[in-house]
Amino acid sequence: MLLAKTLTSSTFKLALIAIGTFGVIVSAIFSYVYLSTAHYVRSRSDRTILAEYMSLRDAYLRSGRDALIELIRQRMADRGFADHVYLLADPSSNVVAGNFAQWPQAATTNGWTEFRAADAAPDATRPPLVRGMVEIFAGGDRLLVGRDISDLDSFTAQIKMALISGVILIFVLAAMASILVTRRTVGRIEQINATSRAIMASGLDKRIPLRGSHDEWDRVAENLNLMLDRIETLMGEVRQVSDNVAHDLRTPLTRMRGRLEKAYQRPRSGDADQALIGDTIADLDAVLRIFASIVRIAQIETQARKVGFRTVNLAEIASEVVELYDAAAEQDGTHLTLGGDRDVLVTGDRDLIFDAIANLVDNAIKHGRAGGQVIVSSEHIEGQPVVTIADDGPGIPPCEYDHVFKRFYRLEQSRYTPGNGLGLSLVAAVARLHGAQIEMLDNAPGLKFRLWFSEPGG
Amino acid sequence: MTGGRRRILVVEDDPETAGQLTEQLATSGYQVDLAATGGEALRLGAARDYAVITIDRMLPDIDGITVMRQLRNNGIAAPFLIISALGEVDDRVRGLRAGGDDYLVKPFSFLELLARLEALGRRSDTVAKETILRVGDLAIDLISRTASRRGKEILLLPKEFQLLEYLVRNEGRVVSRAMLLQHVWDLHFDPSTNIIDVYVGRVRRKVDDQQAYPLIHTVRGVGYCLRAPG
Repeated sequence: MLLAKTLTSSTFKLALIAIGTFGVIVSAIFSYVYLSTAHYVRSRSDRTILAEYMSLRDAYLRSGRDALIELIRQRMADRGFADHVYLLADPSSNVVAGNFAQWPQAATTNGWTEFRAADAAPDATRPPLVRGMVEIFAGGDRLLVGRDISDLDSFTAQIKMALISGVILIFVLAAMASILVTRRTVGRIEQINATSRAIMASGLDKRIPLRGSHDEWDRVAENLNLMLDRIETLMGEVRQVSDNVAHDLRTPLTRMRGRLEKAYQRPRSGDADQALIGDTIADLDAVLRIFASIVRIAQIETQARKVGFRTVNLAEIASEVVELYDAAAEQDGTHLTLGGDRDVLVTGDRDLIFDAIANLVDNAIKHGRAGGQVIVSSEHIEGQPVVTIADDGPGIPPCEYDHVFKRFYRLEQSRYTPGNGLGLSLVAAVARLHGAQIEMLDNAPGLKFRLWFSEPGG
Repeated sequence: MTGGRRRILVVEDDPETAGQLTEQLATSGYQVDLAATGGEALRLGAARDYAVITIDRMLPDIDGITVMRQLRNNGIAAPFLIISALGEVDDRVRGLRAGGDDYLVKPFSFLELLARLEALGRRSDTVAKETILRVGDLAIDLISRTASRRGKEILLLPKEFQLLEYLVRNEGRVVSRAMLLQHVWDLHFDPSTNIIDVYVGRVRRKVDDQQAYPLIHTVRGVGYCLRAPG
């Protein structure tokens, strides 16, 4: 199974291509080495043969046939010329003197010849290979001077063998190495695949095992595991949110149902029915509003709105929010004031920033102290545009700071004040979209919300 | 409603919604033509003169925006009310940019739709360019941006004046909270609090307290209406 995957994997195919290319190059180099070695060996041998041939030919031409026969006899007796071959034949190819009993059939013309001397050693499985020069004299006498080059031949054959086995060895080793490497790669990928399949089959609790080698595969596995962690967290949040949505929707829906059921059983009365229908529509509107908020937050989080960003004035938006909420604050007995600079420019979406500040102001008025003070100020702090919403109410325990941005999160103390727990999630989504940092500070007493924007264009 | 029954073209592909709309609009004194597809809308829109055309963005054949643009190019001057299930502000703004006159997000209350249709239908009427508008004993001066009742000045903040002006301009018609947010604050979303009610409450105190009769009336489930008695 793994072997089949190894052989079909792309890594292995790449390795094969590399081996092939490499093999061709190595073969070419080895062939060159072989050919030049063989050529060198042979040309050395040929020079020896040629020198000997020249001196024997000279002897014939200068001193005649008998002198040559004498010379051949001397040479054959000489150990120093043991590997030489001499042959003198008359015009009808009868051997007069020399190593062999018969004139070789191959040697019919002047010049180089090469043949296997079968008659010299009839028992040998491999008769010696002879190379020599042939001269047919004017009188018809024939001279062959040569050498037994079997040794040379086997030497070059050995080199050839060595080179060929070298190439084969390289091929085999490379193939094995690439199978091993590919197998390792495929093995790791298979692990990732197996984990993916397990996740698809059962759930997000599986993780890809690490080998502790800190190599790139471990890093891939680590990153994938981190991604899985993130997905699991998000899934958890989604589940949490849908639970909360279910809860928050169930409350008004149950109320509506109960009210309608009671009305259904009681005799019709115009005024009561009118009030009931009005209340029910109001409750339905609340439900729809929760839906709208969820959809809105989801849309902000998709970042699509960044397209509509332009330079807006935080101070202007803040003052508009303050103006809108002034009446509500007055009704609550809260003193809502505006502070800070006149021009605090940021790049963003005016509606969304308005919505975020409005939510924070709304919270500050609702959860602040009755008869207290809420201050909205926009200014530059350390060169950064900042909008601050501060109240002097009971504040939030620092340990709750992180939680308040979760969707539907509501502090125990505010469980029974109106609101759907989505306001701060929206603020967080808007801040994220604008690349703004949210800071929560203890206003001693009260809570201070800060949105740190970045310079427009920066 | 002057000049007899006004004719409205409703472009809506969902039969139940279309049925409800037709029935309710007919009850409210409109004559309703219904188009279930973009093609039908193009045909009807070009054939008749309508007071208002309401158009759904998601149609089975042609996109509502395209239908609207095409009718506009054919010289149809009727105001368009875009009805969209896509809550995104971008969509609304895109709809308006493409030639829509107002938008409404599904689901909506019928009263809200009626309020917007009334406001849109009025646009085609010619409005005299007066600088002082009067309703009963209330007078608002659009130049000095001041308001008074029986000659006694009412002190209003700029936004409060804008809100009163919008109510006065729509005298006798119901104005929804969303319409106020849109026209007074230029906000294209619902801040999902009672903030508008509180705000109108304050304007109402300034305008109506210790007067002979109230001008600003709450319309249950929708919004407000400014009218003089009688």
